[in-house]
Amino acid sequence: MNSFISRLKPRGREGSLGIILLVTVGITGLINPRFLTGDGTRDLFTSTAVVALLAIGMAPIIIMRHIDLSVASTVGLTAWFIADISAKNPDFTWVQCFIIGPLIGMIVGVLNGLLVAGLRLPSLVVTLGTLYIVRGAVYVISNSVDYNAQEMPPSLLDLGQKVFFGVMPFTFLLVIFAMLITAWFMKYRKAGRDCYAIGSNPHAADLVGLKVFRRTFLAFVFSGAMAGLAGVFYLMRFAQVDSTAFYGQELAVVAAAVIGGVTIAGGSGTTIGATIGALLVQTIQGGLAAIGVDAFWKSAINGLLLIVAIYADRTLARKSERTLLAQRIKERA
Amino acid sequence: MAQQGDLLLQMKGVQKRFGGAIALSGTDLSIRAGEIHALLGENGAGKSTMLKILAGVHVNDGGTISMAGRSFQTGSPQASIEQGIAVIYQEPSLFLDLTLAENVFIGRQPMKGAAIDWTLVQNEAARLFDELGVPLDPKRLARGLSIADQQVVEIAKALSMNANIILMDEPTAALSASEVERLMTVMQSLKAANKAVIFVSHRLDEVFMISDFITVMRDGATVSENSVEQTDMQKVIKEMVGRELTELFPKTEHDIGDVVLEVKDITNPAYFRNISFKVRKGEIVALAGLVGSGRSEVARAIFGIDKYDSGSVEVNGELLQKGSPIVSMERKIALVPEDRRQQGLFMIAGVDRNIAMESFDRLKGKIFLNFKKERTLTETWRDKLSIKFESASDPVDSLSGGNQQKTVLAKWLATNPDILIVDEPTRGIDVGTKAEVHKLIDAAAGEGKAVLMISSELPEVLGMADRIIVMREGHQVAELSRKDATQEKVIAAATTGSKGA
Repeated sequence: MNSFISRLKPRGREGSLGIILLVTVGITGLINPRFLTGDGTRDLFTSTAVVALLAIGMAPIIIMRHIDLSVASTVGLTAWFIADISAKNPDFTWVQCFIIGPLIGMIVGVLNGLLVAGLRLPSLVVTLGTLYIVRGAVYVISNSVDYNAQEMPPSLLDLGQKVFFGVMPFTFLLVIFAMLITAWFMKYRKAGRDCYAIGSNPHAADLVGLKVFRRTFLAFVFSGAMAGLAGVFYLMRFAQVDSTAFYGQELAVVAAAVIGGVTIAGGSGTTIGATIGALLVQTIQGGLAAIGVDAFWKSAINGLLLIVAIYADRTLARKSERTLLAQRIKERA
Repeated sequence: MAQQGDLLLQMKGVQKRFGGAIALSGTDLSIRAGEIHALLGENGAGKSTMLKILAGVHVNDGGTISMAGRSFQTGSPQASIEQGIAVIYQEPSLFLDLTLAENVFIGRQPMKGAAIDWTLVQNEAARLFDELGVPLDPKRLARGLSIADQQVVEIAKALSMNANIILMDEPTAALSASEVERLMTVMQSLKAANKAVIFVSHRLDEVFMISDFITVMRDGATVSENSVEQTDMQKVIKEMVGRELTELFPKTEHDIGDVVLEVKDITNPAYFRNISFKVRKGEIVALAGLVGSGRSEVARAIFGIDKYDSGSVEVNGELLQKGSPIVSMERKIALVPEDRRQQGLFMIAGVDRNIAMESFDRLKGKIFLNFKKERTLTETWRDKLSIKFESASDPVDSLSGGNQQKTVLAKWLATNPDILIVDEPTRGIDVGTKAEVHKLIDAAAGEGKAVLMISSELPEVLGMADRIIVMREGHQVAELSRKDATQEKVIAAATTGSKGA
């Protein structure tokens, strides 16, 4: 088990991201000492759990050179549905919620997967379509009904309040669990490696006979399942839901993954990086809130961070490519 | 394990048709274990079709193929792989974001329990690279690897699949001299391991250095199969060419005037070095040489698409600014590019819009485009070039290859250039249209334009050009006048670099 953990130890990009995260946490702590306390850390984890879980689901998709924009709508759909079912079935417990949530998400994932992998339609457009369709469905089904804490399963809300070791909320513990499982899967299973290969060179993936359809389809189903689970997390955190729940947050998920080093052009990145990316975004947001920066600037700084991340990524890639190319021309001369 | 000399593969009378065009009319090939077998022929002789049949990309229409004495029906890449046939294409298709070791074993990674055994993957890859005598780091990413090293990775992949017949399509086309040497060492070690290597090449010196057998193809049929001792370069060249020039080339004599384009010692170290030549008014100069010898790159540099490090280009005695196609067009240069679909046309736009594309300035009213002028322009060129289309607004995608090529020509001729550069003007179009395109090029020269023509088709070069400049591996190796030039001389210069043959 020990060597297993050590082999998963983030190297390279994830390592430097981890350091950037620690530095950011440190700076934020200087501005607002509360941030470094147990409560502050717990708040950071609690508020990151939903986006981090979605980023873990999104990472394999971006690695395959696709994107899933429908996740935020799926969170809204699942959260509202579970609240609705629980309100009508008072004996519902958290266990049922944890089963039904991912199942609802998987329905959206199957739809995305069939359209993208089966019909080979561009995922950007397909999932933009399902983003609107699913959100529209929430509006129609919910019929402007909201749900609050009293209509939700008490066992679910209790679980949402549960904290381990003083700082680790139950939801983020699950995030770490999901992160480790997927990181292992992406590194040690053929299906995971195929994702990297497909995103790296889709044409060659066909030539060497990789199962492109199956891998792509299952990646979208997985992303859907994670979005469904994230919907349950949403309820556990906010204990209320209406038809606009989590509206427009899909790009925050993409941003977290990209800041976490998942290359938007496909072929590289890890779920560990995506999780760190989500934490980094949340830390900076927390820090900015602490010094009283208003909402517009917070959002602008978020955008800036994203552009800096992509710029750094490109610059590094271009630099190494240029070095290698120059070396080659020198050899030929 | 096959013994040396065992017959591994035999093809007899293999035929292949694509629609009406016959690609293979009856090809024979015998491959034994432990031999290096070169497949030679001009462009369009059917070598690639043959490789693709063996690779399982195409299915043969007639003839028989047998593997180790048993009849084998090709049909899918997977079936060919199972028969032990591995293909290394001219452009290797690696996964650049994965390590070399993983590229070798992708989809076939060895497992230890539920997990991939990465140690074994790396050790095995290292062992294969070692066996091939190439010190590549298996943990390195494939990104940034040279074509030569990428080929080695592909060969290692073939070995890991236990392939015993390895096909290579022009493996040396993009390699430098030292890389070619290394590849030859690798080929020798494959031979020593009783594998059969079939390779296509245009570089005859290399072919004679390494092969045991040479099969020459022409017009889709096998002309000869000889062991290397039984043949020689002269004989092979004759067998490859062996075709008479016909009326395909309606070349007429025109007055040749002053120098219009002068290229002085231009160099771009990655593609070509010290290229100098002149093109005069009314003259057709051909840039000949093998694909990859740097011809197109020279044309692109003159037109300003790419830059060059040193040297200069003059138009009518005045320096041409480098690196700007817009300036080049203002100086009345036109470049009809090699790949009409990707570079020459807007495939979904109409014929009219494509023809007018570079002439908008002249078609403009005060502010807006004058569509009536555009229509007149289209009609003028349709009649001049006899381009066939239903309606002027038809997307060029719906036209035949020949008519597409005429449309590109019309687009550039409509700019009324002084210098016309045409890159592979007749690639992939039928004989009748070829003759028409040749006539158009001749007519352009007759109007006093200076024409620079790049072509891989020797008959075209010999039939159309007043002068021929031969390039080899980025160097200008020969200049032949119309009356001195023969196919043998051009091939000899392009493949071995020697001027007299």
